[in-house]
Parts: sequence; C-alpha cells; structure tokens
Amino acid sequence: MVSIYLLIIKRFIFLVLIQGLIFNNFDFFDIYDPYVCLVFIITFPVKVNKITFMIISFVFGFALDLYTNTLGINTAACLSIAFLRSYILNFVFGSFYDPHGIKLMKNYVIESTFSQKFLYISSIILIHHLILFSLETFSFEFISLIIIKTVITSIISLIFCATFIYIMIENEK
Amino acid sequence: MQQIIDFIIRKKDVAVYFILLLFSLSLIFNSNYFHRSKVIILLNNISNFSSENFDYIIEYFELKDINLDLTKENLFLKNQLEKVKQYSNLDSLKNTNFTFRNAKVISNNLSSFKNHLIINKGVRHGLKNEMGVINSTGIVGIINRTSKNYSSVMSVLNIDTKINAKVKRTSHFGTLEWNGRRTSYLVLNDIPETANIKVGDSIITGGMSLIFPEGINIGVVSEILNQNKISDTVVRFGGNIDEAKYLDFDFKENYLTVKVKLHTDMNNLNNVYVIESLNREEFQKIKK
Repeated sequence: MVSIYLLIIKRFIFLVLIQGLIFNNFDFFDIYDPYVCLVFIITFPVKVNKITFMIISFVFGFALDLYTNTLGINTAACLSIAFLRSYILNFVFGSFYDPHGIKLMKNYVIESTFSQKFLYISSIILIHHLILFSLETFSFEFISLIIIKTVITSIISLIFCATFIYIMIENEK
Repeated sequence: MQQIIDFIIRKKDVAVYFILLLFSLSLIFNSNYFHRSKVIILLNNISNFSSENFDYIIEYFELKDINLDLTKENLFLKNQLEKVKQYSNLDSLKNTNFTFRNAKVISNNLSSFKNHLIINKGVRHGLKNEMGVINSTGIVGIINRTSKNYSSVMSVLNIDTKINAKVKRTSHFGTLEWNGRRTSYLVLNDIPETANIKVGDSIITGGMSLIFPEGINIGVVSEILNQNKISDTVVRFGGNIDEAKYLDFDFKENYLTVKVKLHTDMNNLNNVYVIESLNREEFQKIKK
C-alpha cells in the first residue's frame, strides 16, 4: 500500500511540473494546449478508496491552477472527473471492471479491446474539457465556441495522453 | 433519523464530492473578478426584477397622489411655456444642450451613509455613468453604475456626492455635500465670508459641470453658520449643549457653512428625469 502512495506522489509531481512548465506553453494554432495532466487521473490505481481519490484530485487541480492563475477552475474540473471516473469505468468495461481493485490499471489497458480503451480515455478527456472550458467562459453566449474548443483540444490531448500511457506501460515491462 | 444517517453514510462519496465542489466554486468566485461580477449581476437582476413587479402592484394605491403631482407639474410647465413664448422664438434644434428621459424609481434606500437608488432604465435606453437625475421638485442624484436594464443612482444623500451649486441671488458658487445626519438637509461649503447671504435665499445648480444644467432648484437656506461667530458663542456659552451641535461640522477659515433645506422629498420618489448633456464629449476633450 505504501508503494502505491509513493507511485502516486511521484506521478503527481512529475505531471504537475510537465503540464505547468511545458504543455501550458505548447499553443497549437495559437490557442490549443494539450492537457497531459489527465494521465494522472486516467491511470490512478483503482485500489485506492474513492474519497481519497477525490481529495488527491482536488489537490492536483489546485496545483495546476497555481501555474495558470485561474484559481478554482482546474480544481473543479479535476474533482468532477475524479467523481465520475468509477461510473465511466463501469460503463465502458462492464463486467470486466471490479470496484475492489484486484486488477491493476495495467490490466485494463492491456487486456481490453481497442474500442474500449479509446472510449475510456476519450470520454474522460471530453468531459473534463467541457467542464473546464464552460467554467472558464462562464456564460451561455459562447456555447458554440466552448464546443469547438472542447473538440479540438480533446483530439490533441487524446494523442498526447495515449502516447504517454503507451510509454509508461512499455517502461514498466 | 436513523434512515437519514444511513442514507448519508451510503452516499458518502456524493456528499464529499459536493462539499469539495462547493469549496472549489467558492475559490473561483473569490479569486476571479469576472466570475464574481457575473454572479453579482445575476443576483442583482433577480432582486431588481422581483422588486419591480412588487412595485407594480403597490403603484395602484398611489395613483391618485401621482396624478395630482403630475397635473401640478403640467400646470407649472404650461405657465412657463407661455412666458417663454412671448419673448423669443426658440429653435429647439440648435439651442438645446440637454435632453431629458423619464424613468421610474424601483428601489430607494435612505438608511446608510452611502445611499443608492435604482431606476428602471439602463444601457439599453441610452443611459451612461455620470448623468444627472432630477425630479419635478429638485435634484435627486447622479448615475454611477449601469447594467442592461437598470441603473444605480448615487443619491444626493450620499457622503461621497459633491455637487456644484450657487446662491441664486448673489451668484456665489459652493460645493453641496451631505453630512450624514438628516435626510432633508444638505450642507453648502466654500461660500466666502463676505457673501451677503440671508436665510430664505434659494440655492440652484451652478452649471460648472455638464452633469446638471444651470438653474435647477435645490433648496432654500435654512441656517448660516459663520465660523468666527460660532467660536465666540462656544466660548461664551462655555460648552452649552444647545450650541454644541454647531461643532459637528468641519469648519474652514473665512468660509461660511450654509445649511440647505431640500425641495425634494427623498422619502417619496416616483417619476424621475435623467439628464443627458449633448456637448459632454466636446467639453471633456477641451478640459484635458
């Protein structure tokens, strides 16, 4: 159990730094930044208690907010996606998902089909971006702008996150 | 009770989620100015909307008084029009510097030091900041904040309001302020000691700024306080309680402090007029 928390802390520091210092200044087509930090929530161990998971995601979002000077927006988005993750896992993997966490996150990635992996990662990224951008603009006037930005940023984030997770698993082997 | 506790224990994830979400939302609203102003505007709109609808019902009971006031004003204006007609043929296109818009007061507050009132017209009807507001009897205030459908007016009963005014008979200029005490009296400062002012003189707007045109009635002089005289009387009476009230004002040397009784009854405001100056941009350009 201690080793799991050590792993979480290691990923926490690494992903906050890489997101805050590198990927926030990426600027594809001037305005789109990939959110690689979502790898932290996607690959968070299933074994850990849900309340602990939500509290850690809350702190994680807060740390991200300190880099972008938008106090509270990333926090709310990360917290919400942490709350919704168990429902998404249940929806995507069905009977393969066990809430008690005997299987590792690695098993989910390796042993599932391609469409399941794609659905899991893309739905988490889409929901997170939708919450993030609608909190950021905070008005109904720009609803079309929110949707366009969500879709384009999601595609970029998806490519980066998938590459990142692939590298992580290759390293563990 | 047992069932409620059981329910909370069963749904403890959801409870923790909403507590943390509340915390992060409060973070958003406290640290981001844009989000906060958005929420404040929403809440303001709700409260203004409800109080406007409530006033709509109350208004029926006051219709008789309002009608009486309006007929009186009509009579007065018609008389004035007749006088003007005799002397000149005005070209209204070229000679006007100010236009008037009517509006209705939907909430009025007199209890604080910085009183504001809200009128039912806003940016959509062409109102801007720093426009003057009057009613049929005298001045009411200056607009300091506008939203889409409503405007907030800094009333004359606000310790931050300063209005340029003059004595009608002698043309001495001064600054009109409120001392935060009674709602029917204002204080006119900066009148030189040599000015020959008497109780009962009328005070009108000065026309030095383009917020109010010159010559709108404000009130009448009800008391003149000379600094030298007061220091004499205070010494003579040795701190008599009746005279001690004079000490409350901030006196400046060689200037009179004049207490002015307002024509406007600030407790009872219904229809007001908003004044827009047509030359304002030109005036501000040359002032720079």
